[in-house]
Amino acid sequence: MKRIADFLLPPESRRTVGAVCVALLAGLLLIAGVSDEPLRAWLILLTGALPELRQASDGGWHWHRLVRFGTVLEDTINLTLLGLAVAIPFRARQFALGADGQLFLGALAASVAALCWPGPAWLALPMACGAAMLAGGAWGGVTGVLKWRCGANEMVVSLMLNLVAIEFYRLAITRWLRDPGAGFPATPFFPPEAALTPLIAHTGVSWMLLAAPLMVAAVALLLGRTTLGYEIRVIGAAPAFALQAGLPVGRATVLSMALGGMLAGLAGFHIGHAVLKRLPVDLAPGLGFEGLLVALLARHQPRAILGAAFFYAWLRAGGQAMERGTDVSREIALVLQALVIVLVMAERWPWRPGRGEAS
Amino acid sequence: MTPELAVLALLALLRAAPPILYAALGGLLSELGGKINVALEGLMLVAAFTGVIAAIYPPPGLPPMLLPWWGLLAGLLAALLLAGVLAVLHLECGADLIVAGIALNLLAAGLTVFLLAELVGDKGSTAAFATPALPSLHIPGLAGWPLLDLLLNGEGGRGHHVLVLGAPLLAGAAWLFLCHTRLGAWLRAAGENPAAAHAAGIPVRRMHYLALLGSGLLAGVGGVYLSMGYLTLFQADMSAGRGFLALAAVFVGRRNLAGTCGAALLFGAAGVVATRLGALEVAPQLLAMLPPAITIAALALPGWRRRRKQPLS
Repeated sequence: MKRIADFLLPPESRRTVGAVCVALLAGLLLIAGVSDEPLRAWLILLTGALPELRQASDGGWHWHRLVRFGTVLEDTINLTLLGLAVAIPFRARQFALGADGQLFLGALAASVAALCWPGPAWLALPMACGAAMLAGGAWGGVTGVLKWRCGANEMVVSLMLNLVAIEFYRLAITRWLRDPGAGFPATPFFPPEAALTPLIAHTGVSWMLLAAPLMVAAVALLLGRTTLGYEIRVIGAAPAFALQAGLPVGRATVLSMALGGMLAGLAGFHIGHAVLKRLPVDLAPGLGFEGLLVALLARHQPRAILGAAFFYAWLRAGGQAMERGTDVSREIALVLQALVIVLVMAERWPWRPGRGEAS
Repeated sequence: MTPELAVLALLALLRAAPPILYAALGGLLSELGGKINVALEGLMLVAAFTGVIAAIYPPPGLPPMLLPWWGLLAGLLAALLLAGVLAVLHLECGADLIVAGIALNLLAAGLTVFLLAELVGDKGSTAAFATPALPSLHIPGLAGWPLLDLLLNGEGGRGHHVLVLGAPLLAGAAWLFLCHTRLGAWLRAAGENPAAAHAAGIPVRRMHYLALLGSGLLAGVGGVYLSMGYLTLFQADMSAGRGFLALAAVFVGRRNLAGTCGAALLFGAAGVVATRLGALEVAPQLLAMLPPAITIAALALPGWRRRRKQPLS
């Protein structure tokens, strides 16, 4: 019995699941405070992202709300890549929060590649993808080099680099890449051969759906089975020991941030080429921080990131469904996401001292 | 540049710098107490929001004259509460301070927009409601010195907002507190070396609480100024990165008071220049890049030079 329970719900993830449940219940309370029909709103929040199989009048069965489920998958891909982007430097105990800026630069580089050098799909797509990863990786590497060479606090530097990157993105879109025919500052639509074809009609779900688990596996391999991954983990777990043992601390630190930047750049490629097909100037910043929440929920374990990203994407879509169907606004999803993290982070509860000290 | 223009530029700076200055003082307080406060941004946001909402929905029987002060009080209490959550999470529950701070920033961003939509019915701002501003103070007896009058009483002699005048006073108070009181020395000792401070009989944990709660209070003042002084409404995400700039100011100022204040004023000035030059041909985005670029340079250059001098260490 106990073994079955352990298999279904491994002990190390029990606290996370508990935190999620508590946060969802807190969400119910919060909704009850503002809504006339709290239970219905809460249920829509939890199930709104689910596609529906309905019988049409002609007797055939049809999937409904697939577009909404498509946004769940799009967000899952974004959040998985961003979660990995945050998790790699975090494993080396580098609080690099630059995923946002890396994403913006990655999207920008990919769009420049798509708009300036048109070509057949087999050339244009890898080129855009490569440009995005290169730009993101370079931007991440800058944080690492400044930390390694100058001892600059990586958190502050990466936050500042975010601001620079986002402003540069806006400058580039309004000044150089703007489509004169569009009513608002945005790039022209990418040529069809440079955009990813959707797998589900009217959504941005593309073959990148496969890239997300692939990247998870790659990062898990990198961290678990390679020399660089070992160095990153040792630096994170015991920095003094890593220095004493003569590990290339500086190089591994820089590489961890550059690799994270590449993944964030890939997320930028996904947003531009698969989801939006063009880049608007008001692309909302902040997705990088949601990636951070995903990484935290997964405790920086690459394998768990896919599930965590799916859960958050699910909540986001549920929140949007709730906003449309009831009187509760969708920002509650963000509140719940942050609440889960606050609960997960607490290592011990002071009012349970006996059990707390042992863990 | 004529003296009048210089004074007018200074006036714009006086209006724009206080939010960053208050938050930077808060960041400095917690940093000296050994606890980095990443949640400044969220604290400002929550204080700005609560101040306006409290002033829109006052308790019955409150005289209108006291309305803005009630808003100030509510905003400060809200910031204090959030800082308290951060302190308890970190000091009692063992959560990582940086991670907890970031999570609280996101919580504040989501919660303010959520409650804004529910309470006001508009996700953008509280523009539909009249928000009382805190009063401005006119310093009398300066009519004989026109430039000084312009500087200290603003254009048209309207006087400066209370919290604008409060900023230099609070900076002075922070200096007195940190350098000339026993509590300030204890706080710095607890930040410098907690074990040694504990051995010397200093209540280290209480000092850590003081650092985090105090920084919450100061960031809260900056937040309330944003929504009840700089503007008289609450906008979604109205702190707009000022909390992070304030944190950067602490590092750029090398963790001392004068440096932090100088960096905060510099960032405020960059913001003023960016809005003033928006009409000209200079891209506003380039100017918005200035404060972060200055920060990065200020953080990187000393280390780079040190490395140059002693390449082996």
